[in-house]
Amino acid sequence: MNVLGIIATAGRFVAEEEHLVTDSDGNIVTHSPWLPETAEIIWGGLASLIIFYALYKFGWPQMKKSFNARTERIQKELDGAAADKAAAATEAQGIRQAKGDIAAERDRIMAEAKAQAESILADGRARLVTEVQELEAKSAAEIEASRSRVGDELRAEISRLSSAAVDHVVSGSLDDATQQELIENFIARVGAAQ
Amino acid sequence: MSDNRIEGYARALFEIARAEGTLDEVEDELFRFARSYESSDALRNALTDEQIPAGKRQAIVEDLLGGKATSTTTQLVSMVVGSGRGRDLPAIIDKLVARASSAKNLEVAEVRTAVPLTSDQQDRLAAAIVNATGKQVNLKVVVDPSVIGGVVATVGDTVIDGSVRTRIDQLKSRL
Repeated sequence: MNVLGIIATAGRFVAEEEHLVTDSDGNIVTHSPWLPETAEIIWGGLASLIIFYALYKFGWPQMKKSFNARTERIQKELDGAAADKAAAATEAQGIRQAKGDIAAERDRIMAEAKAQAESILADGRARLVTEVQELEAKSAAEIEASRSRVGDELRAEISRLSSAAVDHVVSGSLDDATQQELIENFIARVGAAQ
Repeated sequence: MSDNRIEGYARALFEIARAEGTLDEVEDELFRFARSYESSDALRNALTDEQIPAGKRQAIVEDLLGGKATSTTTQLVSMVVGSGRGRDLPAIIDKLVARASSAKNLEVAEVRTAVPLTSDQQDRLAAAIVNATGKQVNLKVVVDPSVIGGVVATVGDTVIDGSVRTRIDQLKSRL
């Protein structure tokens, strides 16, 4: 017995065990593996039509409704996303504007601070100049006053010394003859006056 | 003291001196005493010190003037000092001198010199002042060493200054 004979014998045993139909060679005889039985086709087709109709009648609206709901939800999500995008854009614009405002405010504050600092500096310089001028004037006045005072004191001292010297010299030089001469001169001068 | 009181004292002294018949002499002595009083701080303080009893102040006056002035002059000064009016003595005496001069239609001419004037000088000076001012004057000579030299004559509001003192003062001012 060759190999094929062995396979055929085995097939027959299997078919007997499984109550399968076999041919003369012991091969198991079955329907076409590709085409069903006609009745099966008919009943299967009817059942399929019924199922398709039921699906169309009852399932399709639900599916359509589900699709619509999903579409609507997606659309809503898209709209929400668009709205969020617009809001984000608006917020971004606001932030940019705020940033611009902050920059402008910063510039304004800086300009104001700079102007204020320049004003303070100018005032300080002016005050310093004024104070320096006042100090100079005061110093000049004090120097002048000191000079005048020293001059006055010097003149007073000279005058005092001179007076003392004059008193001493004149008193010492006025002898009786001079006294009489002064008196006579006075009498003559007054007598000559009208 | 008020002018009325000074005037009252001057009038009283004037009347007493005139009643005594020694007005010219008393007037001259009082004038000299007043000038001495003005120039001496010690005398002025002694005669105006309220702490010194009036009798003692009068005794000072009598010691000073006794034998050097008429008794009328001494008594009049003593009276004024004793009444506590010593501070006003020069003013009272000046009023008296002015009153006496006025009674004789004369203007008081106060002459200050460093040395005494002779009678001749006084006469010539009085004549010169009369000639210069046109007023009859009652010449009162005061020896004042502060004049140093020359003469200062005061007739009413007119001052004729020929003193060395003034020239020195002018020199000091210029200095």
